[in-house]
Amino acid sequence: MVVRVRVRNAETGATVDMELEMENTVEEIIEGVSAYWEKDPGAYVIRKGRRLLRGQQKVQELDIQANEELELIPDPEGGNR
Amino acid sequence: MAGLIRPGVMDQDRHDRTKRIPWVDLSRIGSAKVLVVGAGALGNEAVKDLVLFGFRHVDVLDMDTVVRSNLSRCVLFREGDQSSGKGKASLVAERARELDPEVQIRAMEGKVQSLGPEDMKGYGIILGCLDNVAARLHLNANAYHARVPYVDGGTEGFRGRVQAVVPPLTPCLQCGMNRSHFKVMERRFSCTGQDTVFYQPKMAAEITTTSIIAAAQVREAVKVLSGRPAIAHVMHYDGMAGTCEILGLDIDPGCPNHLPTKLS
Repeated sequence: MVVRVRVRNAETGATVDMELEMENTVEEIIEGVSAYWEKDPGAYVIRKGRRLLRGQQKVQELDIQANEELELIPDPEGGNR
Repeated sequence: MAGLIRPGVMDQDRHDRTKRIPWVDLSRIGSAKVLVVGAGALGNEAVKDLVLFGFRHVDVLDMDTVVRSNLSRCVLFREGDQSSGKGKASLVAERARELDPEVQIRAMEGKVQSLGPEDMKGYGIILGCLDNVAARLHLNANAYHARVPYVDGGTEGFRGRVQAVVPPLTPCLQCGMNRSHFKVMERRFSCTGQDTVFYQPKMAAEITTTSIIAAAQVREAVKVLSGRPAIAHVMHYDGMAGTCEILGLDIDPGCPNHLPTKLS
């Protein structure tokens, strides 16, 4: 079974549609869209509504509806330099 | 019976305006010991806010010395500090005493990796003002195992994040990390075959986001020590959009910090 979602790039507002298998993980979503948008190397997280998704979670655990929107957010790691 | 007051007396009390916030437990805040790890951009702002708020016992840890480019974001550093030979932690402690001579502030020169869970005990709260994933993971794990609340801050350009970890109730930093974080960490330790090189990238940073994120960290410390609930669980700040959202996070059942302790 496949579910189609829309992923928004929080930094640019751009979106991309993505087809996901139930076995795909959140980390695979991050890597897929990061490669598509040629993101700078860095830490990113995915939010679904008002929750952050854990990297190892599989699509089948996420209760994702067809065409639901996820968002890719940079996870800032600076602050001491 | 009504209390006795005199004109102007309230304005002589340094913390009079803070005392007017009914839920703030200034007594506990004044007696709690706080550890600030990192005396750079976030650490400067955090220590300034802690001291002005009424914290009385602050330890500051950093391994570094000042470079001139720090001066655009570090309120406690001065022109000339870069050639003083003094460590960031010592300078922060020195300047914090100028803000309030009654504060007991101790500078600790060293790496966060030198601290273990035993070193965390005795602190009421720990603030992470760091700039890399490895140091954050170390502090997060040790604070969690010592059952000391930990408030982490991070910035990059006009974006920032704050996470409040209150063991054993909340998810920890590691629960929210994924492969992209660990790839960043691996890049920092590149192996040449002969040696391991620590690569420290220069990241975009500016004072307005630094101030906001450090202030949010100190506010979480105030809330936790005053018995108020901390944010649940991660605050993401976007300075360009002017938004700040609190996003929930679940405890990762595979996170090593949350595995049930085995009895031997």
